Amino acid sequence: MTSEARIRVFILDDHDVVRRGLRALLEAAGDIDVVGETGSAVTATDRIPALKPDVAILDGRLPDGSGIDVCRAVRSVDPSINGLILTSYDDDEALFAAIMAGASGYLLKEAKSADLVAAVRRVAAGHSLIDPRLMDVVVDRIRHPDRAAPELEALTDQERRILELVADGLTNRQIGERMFLAEKTVKNYVSSILAKLGLERRTQAAVLATKLLRRSSKG
Amino acid sequence: MGEGVHHTEGPRLQSDALRSRLVEQAQDGLGAQGKVRSLLRANRSIVGDLNLTSVLERIVVVACHLVDAPYGALGVIAADGTGVQDFIHSGIDEETVRRIGHLPQGRGLLGALIDDPRPIRLRVIGDDPRSVGFPPGHPEMKGFLGVPIRVRGEIFGNLYLASPREGNFTPEDEELVLSLAATAGVAIENARLYEESVQRQEWLEATTDMTRRVLVASGEQALRTIGQRVAELAVADLVAVVLPAQEDLLGVAVAVGLDAERLAHFNYQLAGTVAEKVLRTGQPEVFEDAARHHGDGLSRVVIGDVVPLGPVMVLPMAGGEAVSGVLVVGRRPGAHPFAEAEVAMATNFAHHGSVALELAEARREAQRSLILEDRARIARDLHDQVIQQLFAAGMSLQGAAAKAEGGVSDLISDVVDQLDDAIRQIRTYIFHLRTEPGSSVGLRGQLLEVCASFAPSLGYLPRLQFIGPVDSATDERLSDDVCAVVRESLSNVARHAEASTALVVARVRGDRLEVSVQDDGKGIGTPERRSGLHNLEQRARARSGTYTVQPGEGNGTRVTWSVPTPRAGTRRETLDDE
Repeated sequence: MTSEARIRVFILDDHDVVRRGLRALLEAAGDIDVVGETGSAVTATDRIPALKPDVAILDGRLPDGSGIDVCRAVRSVDPSINGLILTSYDDDEALFAAIMAGASGYLLKEAKSADLVAAVRRVAAGHSLIDPRLMDVVVDRIRHPDRAAPELEALTDQERRILELVADGLTNRQIGERMFLAEKTVKNYVSSILAKLGLERRTQAAVLATKLLRRSSKG
Repeated sequence: MGEGVHHTEGPRLQSDALRSRLVEQAQDGLGAQGKVRSLLRANRSIVGDLNLTSVLERIVVVACHLVDAPYGALGVIAADGTGVQDFIHSGIDEETVRRIGHLPQGRGLLGALIDDPRPIRLRVIGDDPRSVGFPPGHPEMKGFLGVPIRVRGEIFGNLYLASPREGNFTPEDEELVLSLAATAGVAIENARLYEESVQRQEWLEATTDMTRRVLVASGEQALRTIGQRVAELAVADLVAVVLPAQEDLLGVAVAVGLDAERLAHFNYQLAGTVAEKVLRTGQPEVFEDAARHHGDGLSRVVIGDVVPLGPVMVLPMAGGEAVSGVLVVGRRPGAHPFAEAEVAMATNFAHHGSVALELAEARREAQRSLILEDRARIARDLHDQVIQQLFAAGMSLQGAAAKAEGGVSDLISDVVDQLDDAIRQIRTYIFHLRTEPGSSVGLRGQLLEVCASFAPSLGYLPRLQFIGPVDSATDERLSDDVCAVVRESLSNVARHAEASTALVVARVRGDRLEVSVQDDGKGIGTPERRSGLHNLEQRARARSGTYTVQPGEGNGTRVTWSVPTPRAGTRRETLDDE
C-alpha cells in the first residue's frame, strides 16, 4: 500500500490504557497509522494541525478541556481534518457533543473492533456517521426552543445565532466570516455557550442533551 | 380601762353602770379585736394558696365567715369587660343551683358593680332601683354588700355577700371586706403568676419534646406531633395545621381533636381569611368567639364554619424567615377564651415547631444531597475507571485475536461481545445513577422506571440496555408506546413464563427504533397468551411497524417491536396546519 492510501489518525484520550489499546487495534487493521497521541486537550490543539491527520479521535471530556473545543479549533485551522468524538457516556450525549464539535461522528467506548475500524475508514473517506434525521432534530430544536429546554433561554440572541451556525456544521472561521467577527471572538462565544448549556459539567450534560434532542409530540 | 370610770352616781348605780359599760366596751373591744383577728386569719388562709380555683373559692368562704353572711359569691369579669365569665358561689346547695338553671350573667346589681366598680351596701336588695329581682327558685336575700377586687389596678371581679345574720351590713363590714378584697387581689395575682410559671414550664418541656420528635418524624407525622401538643397544652378542642395549597387556596394539612375528620383534605379560598392576615403579618390573631367574628369587612375564621368554634387563636408558623403556614387553635363555643399568656406561649411553641420543621427539612435535604453526591461519585468511578479498563481490555483481546488461530479467535470474539455487554450494562447503571428518581426525561429514564416497577412481580430486576441515541430518536408519544410494549411484555413474563431473567433492549438501528424483551422461561405460550398481545400488534401497525413473537436464544421467548422513528419538526407542522 502507498502512504497516500493509508489513513493517518491522532488519538486524544486521558487514559493510558485506552490510548494503548486503540493504537494496537487500529494499527492491526493494516491501513491505519497512528501519527500521534496525547492525554491533554491543550497539546492536542497545538499538535493536530501540524500533523494533519485524516482523522482525530477525541475524547469528549478531558481534565484540561473538552474534545468539542479541540475539534472546533482544529477544524477552524484545517477543515480537512475529520473529528470523531470518543466517549464512554451514552449515545444521546455523544451525538450532541459531535454536532457541537463539528465532528463527523462519535464512537462509544465499546470494544467491537470491526465497528471502530470501519468508523475510522468511513470518516477518513469524508463520510459523516451522524444520521441526517437526528441531525435535523438537533438543528430543529435549537432553532425552535421550547419550555422543555429552558437552558436555551439563557442564551443571548447573538449566542443563539452562533449556536445555529454551529449546528449547521460551520467552523469557527466560517462563522466569523459570516457574522463579521474575529475567529477568536467566535471561539469565546462557543465556550460561553457550552458553559451556559452546562456541557462543561459532566452531570448536567446528559440531561440537557436529552432535552435538546428530544422532540416533544405533546402540545 | 379604769381611768375611764367616773364616780358620778351612787355606789350601786355606779358599779352597775360601770359593769355594763365595761362589758360593752369589753365586748366592743373583743368584737373589734375578734374581727381583726379573723381578718388576719382570712388573709393568711387565702394568701397561702397558689391554685387559682381554690383561691377564688376560699375568698368567698372566708368573706362569708368574716361578716357572718350565709351567701357569698365572686364574679370574674370577662376579658372584654362585658359580663361575668366565672361565678364562684357559696351558701346555695347544688340542688337549688340546678333548679335556678343558670348562673348570674352580670345584669342588675351585679352589673352595676361591673359598670361602676365602687362598693355597694344595701339594707334590702329589692329596694334598689338597679335590682332586676331574683329568678324563680332563688332564695330570698335582703342585705347586700358588693366590693370590687382589683388585680394590678385592673378590675378582676366582684365579691358579693348577702343576707347577714345580724340583719344589716355595717360600714365596718364594708371596710373589712374591702380590706379582704385587697388581699384577695394579691392572692389572685400570686396564683396566676404561679399557674403561668407552671404552664410556661409545661410548654417549655413540651417544646423540647416536640422538637425532638419533629426532627425524627417527617411530613404529616411531624405536623401531627405539633398539633397534638398544642391541643394538650392550650386545652384546645381542635387544632388545625393550615398550609398554603396551590394558587389562592389554603389546605388543612393536619387536624387534631373535635370533628377533625371533617377537616381532612379541606381546602378553602385564601382571600379574606384570618389565615391570610396572619400569613402576611406574622402576628397571631385571637378571638373570644369565632362565631361572633363574622360579617362584611372582617377577615373570617373559615375553619369555624366547618366545625363550630368559640374562642380561637390563629398562630403563625414562622421559622427562619417566611411564615410557612398557620395553626388554628380553637375551643368549643362557650369555653374560656385564650388568655394572653396562653397565646404568647402557644405562639412561641408554634415558632419552635416551625424551626424544628425547617431543621428537619434541611437535614433531609442534606442527606439527600449526600446520597446524590455519592451516586455521582460512583457513576464517575464506573465511568473513569471501569469502562476505560473494560474497553482497553477488549481492544487488546482483539489485537490478540488477529494473531490467533480460528477456534481461539472465535472464543475471543465471544469474550469481546460479553465485555461490550458488560459495558452497556454499566452505562445503563451510570445513567441510572445520574438520574434523580422521578425526574426522568426521555425514553431511557421512563424505561428504567418501568423495569424497576416490575422487580416485585418478577422477583428479579429485568436487565435493560440501550443501543444508539434512543432518547433523541423518540418523541413522547413513541416513548409512551414503547413503555406500553415493555410493560405488557414484562407482565406476560411475570404471569406465564416462569423465567428467572428478562432482558429489555431498546435500540436505534438506522431510522428504526426497536425494542425487544427476552426471557429464559418455558417458551412461546398458548394462543390465549398471544391474544393478550393483540394490542401491541395494533400499536406497531398504526406506526407502519412490526411486532413479532418468536423463540428466544436458548429457550424462552423473545418479542420484538420495531417502528420507524419520527422525523424532525413533525409536531410543529401539525400545529401549523391546525
